[in-house]
Amino acid sequence: MKWLRHPLAQWALGAALGAVFVYASWDKIARPREFARIVYHYQLVGPSQALGYVPANLLAVTLPWLELVTGALLVAGLWRREAAAAAALMLVAFIVAVSWALFHGIDIANCGCFTVGGSAEGRTLGWKLLLGDVGLLAVAALLVATPAAPAAVPAYATTRHPVRTG
Amino acid sequence: MKVVSFRGWRLVVIVAAGLGLGLGWNAWSGRGLALGSNAFVRPGDDVELVEAAAAKARLDQGALFLDARGIDYYVMGHIPGALPLPEDDFERAYARLEDTLRRRFDIVVYCSGYGCEASHIVARKLRERGVEAAILHEGWPSWTEAGYPVTEGEEP
Repeated sequence: MKWLRHPLAQWALGAALGAVFVYASWDKIARPREFARIVYHYQLVGPSQALGYVPANLLAVTLPWLELVTGALLVAGLWRREAAAAAALMLVAFIVAVSWALFHGIDIANCGCFTVGGSAEGRTLGWKLLLGDVGLLAVAALLVATPAAPAAVPAYATTRHPVRTG
Repeated sequence: MKVVSFRGWRLVVIVAAGLGLGLGWNAWSGRGLALGSNAFVRPGDDVELVEAAAAKARLDQGALFLDARGIDYYVMGHIPGALPLPEDDFERAYARLEDTLRRRFDIVVYCSGYGCEASHIVARKLRERGVEAAILHEGWPSWTEAGYPVTEGEEP
């Protein structure tokens, strides 16, 4: 698996993962109210009598921007390992949320993964969605665990040559 | 071989940037969401939200309650006297209840809880038809947790 450490392979994997995150963030940033309603449906961070609306709304307005920042860094190839770690943390959270909803039989017509419109626009919760998230998590974990090899340095740049002094 | 090391502070910066940009955009974009507000209530919606205690007082004074949940939930348990007006079968249920609804002036709609949208959708559809209805703010769980009476079956 040495090829995985090649800078080009690392960039390609990071850019593919980053593009998914950038795309996922777009509609949620444009329509925060609609995304908040989807967060409510999961019933994981409220709203509830104990928590009120703040945790769910806070998540709805900040998560898309975290997706965008993470995705942009991965596409640009900057801070790749750390951005991949942020992506992995989000994917773990998504997997927990979807599993929680499936386990509790919560019927969510639109998972809020890429679009926040009506049920006709989005993907429903299910094992396929869960498997997709696990696949993305594997890519993110790979990027965290296998940093790119440093670019090859020409031998002449590291070899000391005697200096002729006359 | 030297590899690119993982720097935890960068992860902190990424998370902080996401939080900061999200809160900043929410505050200044003009399309933000008040963090303490209910996202089901659309801007401009003049909807009255009532707490469980106030709803109980209105029930005692003869208010009509409408159950916006699916009919199966209604059968499993509902507020005594409430009529089923499921959001997923609104048109049919409304046609059946229209005469009753037009004669009542104190109507409260409820659904399955904090995170449910059905009561807001039903209240909005009723308003479009000229029937005003308040919403039980925290829905069915707030009613049962307060220990207020419930009844089972298909009859109100």
